[in-house]
Amino acid sequence: MPPSQPEDQEKLLEEASKEVKVQAFQMKRCLDKGKLMDGLKHASNMLGELRTSSLSPKSYYELYMQVCDEVRHLEQYLLDEYQKGHKVADLYELVQYAGNIVPRLYLLISVGMVYIKSSQHSRKDIMKDLVEMCRGVQHPLRGLFLRNYLLQCTRNILPDTEQEEDGDVKTGTVEDSIDFFLLNFAEMNKLWVRMQHQGHTRDHEKREKERMELRILVGTNLVRLSQLETIDVNRYKKIVLPEILEQLVSCKDYIAQEYLMECIIQVFPDEFHLETLTPFLKACADLNQTVNVKNIIIALIDRLAVFATRDDSTGIPDDLKLFDIFSDQIAAVIQARPDMPPEDIVALQVSLINLALKCYPERVDFIDKVLETTTEIFHKLGLEHLSSQTPVAKELIRLLKIPIDSYKDILVLLKLKHFGMVVEYLDYEGRKTMGCYLVNNAIEQNTKIPTQEQVDQILLLVAPLVQDQVDQPQDQEDPEEFAEEQSLMGRFINLLEAETPDQQYLILTAARKHFGNGGNKRIKYTLPPLVFSALRLAYRYKELAEEDDKWEKKCQKIFTFCHQTISALIKAELAELPLRLFLQGAVAAGQIGFENHETVAYEFMSQAFSLYEDEISDSKAQLAAITLIISTFEKTACFSEENHEPLRTQCALAASKLLKKPDQCRGVGVCSHLFWSGRTIESKGEEIRVGERVVECLKKALRIAKQCMDPTVQVQLFVEILNRYLYFYEKGNDKINVQILNQLLEKIREDLPNLEDNEETEQITKHFQNTLEHLRMKQEADNSDGPSYEGLTL
Amino acid sequence: MSFLGFGQGADIDIILDDAATRKQAEIKTEDGRKEKLYLFYDGESITGKVNVTLKGKKLEHQGIRIEFVGQIELYYDRGNHHEFTSLIKELARPGELTQSTSFPFEFMNVEKPYESYTGANVRLRYFLRVIITKRLTDTTREMDILVHTLSQYPETNSSIKMEVGIEDCLHIEFEYNKSKYHLKDVIVGKIYFLLVRIKIKHMELAIIKRETTGSGPNTFNENETIAKYEIMDGAPVRGESIPIRLFLSGYELTPTMRDVNKKFSVRYYLNLVLVDEEERRYFKQQEITVWRKPDRAKKPVIFQQLETRKQPETEEGV
Repeated sequence: MPPSQPEDQEKLLEEASKEVKVQAFQMKRCLDKGKLMDGLKHASNMLGELRTSSLSPKSYYELYMQVCDEVRHLEQYLLDEYQKGHKVADLYELVQYAGNIVPRLYLLISVGMVYIKSSQHSRKDIMKDLVEMCRGVQHPLRGLFLRNYLLQCTRNILPDTEQEEDGDVKTGTVEDSIDFFLLNFAEMNKLWVRMQHQGHTRDHEKREKERMELRILVGTNLVRLSQLETIDVNRYKKIVLPEILEQLVSCKDYIAQEYLMECIIQVFPDEFHLETLTPFLKACADLNQTVNVKNIIIALIDRLAVFATRDDSTGIPDDLKLFDIFSDQIAAVIQARPDMPPEDIVALQVSLINLALKCYPERVDFIDKVLETTTEIFHKLGLEHLSSQTPVAKELIRLLKIPIDSYKDILVLLKLKHFGMVVEYLDYEGRKTMGCYLVNNAIEQNTKIPTQEQVDQILLLVAPLVQDQVDQPQDQEDPEEFAEEQSLMGRFINLLEAETPDQQYLILTAARKHFGNGGNKRIKYTLPPLVFSALRLAYRYKELAEEDDKWEKKCQKIFTFCHQTISALIKAELAELPLRLFLQGAVAAGQIGFENHETVAYEFMSQAFSLYEDEISDSKAQLAAITLIISTFEKTACFSEENHEPLRTQCALAASKLLKKPDQCRGVGVCSHLFWSGRTIESKGEEIRVGERVVECLKKALRIAKQCMDPTVQVQLFVEILNRYLYFYEKGNDKINVQILNQLLEKIREDLPNLEDNEETEQITKHFQNTLEHLRMKQEADNSDGPSYEGLTL
Repeated sequence: MSFLGFGQGADIDIILDDAATRKQAEIKTEDGRKEKLYLFYDGESITGKVNVTLKGKKLEHQGIRIEFVGQIELYYDRGNHHEFTSLIKELARPGELTQSTSFPFEFMNVEKPYESYTGANVRLRYFLRVIITKRLTDTTREMDILVHTLSQYPETNSSIKMEVGIEDCLHIEFEYNKSKYHLKDVIVGKIYFLLVRIKIKHMELAIIKRETTGSGPNTFNENETIAKYEIMDGAPVRGESIPIRLFLSGYELTPTMRDVNKKFSVRYYLNLVLVDEEERRYFKQQEITVWRKPDRAKKPVIFQQLETRKQPETEEGV
């Protein structure tokens, strides 16, 4: 038969449908006249249209529906006749004279149903007879529809009781119904499978598609079986399921197996599944190698997991070792399928983990067992360094993420002995992805890591984020990505938080060891948070000073730790970062005030200075660094005059040695504060207020400003210096007077108009105007406490 | 004719004693129509009376007799009827009838060894014939009767079971539950496919009637397909078994007749035909014996199922 075009199909269907209409009309007319024999003849002619071989399954279905619709008139007529007292028994023989088998069997089914509906007496025999006689149609499409008609007709009239009704052995019991459906199912499945093997090989895909359209016909048998109320777990376990599975396994067809296994899962109740896990899963192992067993098992697990967590369910019975059964059977399935892709194997483990988490949330050991199994399988398969782009690696990452997502606690994860081993099977990228995911989870959940062992464990687990790996690719990583992932680690360090400070110290040294190996690129992200964490610890000891008499020693140790850590950054050829950290350390040391703190602070300050001198060459950076040093120093109060003096002198010197004049000017300007608000041990925490030196600084600044060539910059500097003068004047520095201020004001007023008219000038003018405004307010405020603003020329 | 005999004609009627109660049955006539005749069985007496109704005032005759004849007529040999039975009863001595007269007659326990039959080339019939012998032309009257031969249940009635096939191509095993079927019987059976390498389109079971006449070089065979019954649609695969159930009562069958009076035979065959997609036909013929069972109150035979590949039990005698 040549494959027909869609338009041909339409035409063929139309013709057949027309004939059905004609015959149906004649049939009804004859029946109306009470001519049963003629009616049957037309019914048979009409049903004869279903003998066609030229329709596609879709068109055949349409024709079938039309015919079924018409046959209903006949059934109704026969039922009415029966109720009028006519016998139907002879009809059952009569319709069997039809020469063609297809119309004959349709008629036989119709009459059989009328027979059953009119009297239950021969129900059992008729059921058996019909389902057996249908064997005569071996053509897949016609056979499937015929048997579907049988199913359709027998809806709601098959026996569904344990015992025969009214003690009549011929009414049948539920067991007869089971046999009926099982046989019909087996036959339909065989026909359905056979469809695949008929016709040309080039139509393979088309046939698969057509078969998919017809699958519901086969599945209906299972639906109907599941609707029998008298089927209990026992019957299901002993009769129904074994038969279905045997048929499924022996048919060897992957489409049938995939669809019908899913069907079984979906149509029968959870309680049944729980009782039959072992046989069901065993059958999975025996399915065609191309069947996606994974999907089947996952569907079952998902269903049971939902069941276990549903409110109205009785839950998983205690004596049912659900996890063990699945675990063993999945292992058997994998064993039985040497060709199973590793990603599917992992996917199975994923579903197993899901099951364990949903049904046994307390049992961490179950999860660990799955992970262990996974490592064993991988070991056997000889897999390692799975490229993260491969499906198996993706699946593996999915597997690993599940416990992370569900526990939301990295510490629980550490109890899984095999988690790390599984991670090891990933390549560098994969391990890094996992690491990031883990760390992110910890950060999101704000999970504190309280012991040194745990820190060690985690940092080993996320090793690709901590230090270089043997299998790390040579080419440069995307710097942005790298920065992001390392910042993540920086944030993570803040989670390392022990309950006791001593523990915390151990944690920090442990972490330091790990991160210390991170290489120059990483440590700039990871060591600073460690330093800050260490400094916090030192503050903590200070708070506990009364409880811990060794606190000062411990603080010293911490600062040594910090010193070493910061020095590591210097070795990594970093400058500004260690400089800042030294300054931070100096401030901390000063504030905590443990024994020997001055020496420590001094050391930190001097380290900052030497970094400034040796490592910072860019003039802008220099200015920023010296400003920072000066302001940090200005805040310290822990130095004795002996140490304070060289430091401040050094600051002034460094400021005046800046390369650019404006920088010099500003640096010296900032320096002036050291002589005013700086504090020493001798000043007992009070500002030293050496007005003379302040003015010296400002004068020097003024002098440098005058040397600037650019008039705009010059004026700008003047305004800035004016502000400093005013600040100190207000603070009560008696070495400054109105006359000096007036001179400076005069100078600015003189120069300002000569500047080019541009944005910068505008800013400077505004700054100056604001300053003047401030002064005006001061004048008007008439504040007797502060210095007098009288005589100031505004 | 009547003026030659001076109006001495007479009507003859044969009236059976049990005409009102005797069963009648149908049989085909030579021209294909059906007629209803009184039904007799072997050994049954035939009694009745012959009414001679005068048309004139009297009837001279050389004697009146009634004959019971069983004969075989071969159509190709019209003039030559083979009487296998001929019984004569004298009803009246030569003389004169002056009024209509009724003559009782009686054939006691008549042997009727064969079944009435109308076939393509041959006919077997029984009839009563009344002859009024006269000088010129005899007046005769015939009345056909129908004879059914009843058989006892066969003592052995084994199933027909056979494996047939074409090497490496098709291999089937078929099984009919009996070898002897009565006229209202049901053929139940199974076809089991052992090997299928051809694309079968459908399978049918035909009942073929073979009428054999003549003997030696002049043997004629006439085959007629009585029933053609599709038992399978589509192509089965190895291991399939297809049920057969064929009700016989709807078809016009006669009992099997073997070598009736050395003149003819009627035999029945079941022909199993498989048709492949190229319309090639594969078939296997098996003779079955058809026999007539004494009528009993009829019960519908609906379910006669052969258990899968099990030897059917021999039916017990009544």
